[in-house]
Amino acid sequence: MKNRLKVLRAERDWSQAELADRLAVSRQTINSIETGKYDPSLPLAIRIGRLFGHPVEEIFIDNSEE
Amino acid sequence: MPAKSVATQTPLLARPMLWGATWFVAWLGARMVLESASVPTWGRVMAALAPAPIAGAALYTIIRGARELDELEQRIQLEALAFAFVLAVLLLMTLGLMELAITLNRDDWSYRHVWAMLPMLYFAGLALARRRYA
Repeated sequence: MKNRLKVLRAERDWSQAELADRLAVSRQTINSIETGKYDPSLPLAIRIGRLFGHPVEEIFIDNSEE
Repeated sequence: MPAKSVATQTPLLARPMLWGATWFVAWLGARMVLESASVPTWGRVMAALAPAPIAGAALYTIIRGARELDELEQRIQLEALAFAFVLAVLLLMTLGLMELAITLNRDDWSYRHVWAMLPMLYFAGLALARRRYA
């Protein structure tokens, strides 16, 4: 699954650590999501969507739909 | 969905590493008592059982700590345990079959040596899982 997390984070000029603090997860989690190694749980994906003000499906793109 | 803070201060007695270290010290103490020829049988049995309550406390804090982990860390721990569990079963099963096939040297392959391999399997699994998500 692809995602736009890195782009959205860069738009706000946040570091991975800062985003991790805002989402109450570790920096490693943010890094793993951004690099596509880990897909977040639904609760975390919803928190990410709320934080950035976008629907979850605009941030996380299912490759199989392409 | 309340977000929990990752960097919370854990009380000393709730730290799994403290209980893990205490468990190891209790095991060392039990080994010393059991290797002493002058201890009566009841004392030897008590020494052999002494680490068990400390292991229980370690287990309790580990389970509590696991619930507080970040979701990726929970995934990493799960993969490490899955790796260690399958290899531990394989190791014990193979040793059991080897016991039937040949005479194993009990000084090398007794339970008191083999159990120490199990944490090593966990740490190997942990290293692999961490590398996967790094």
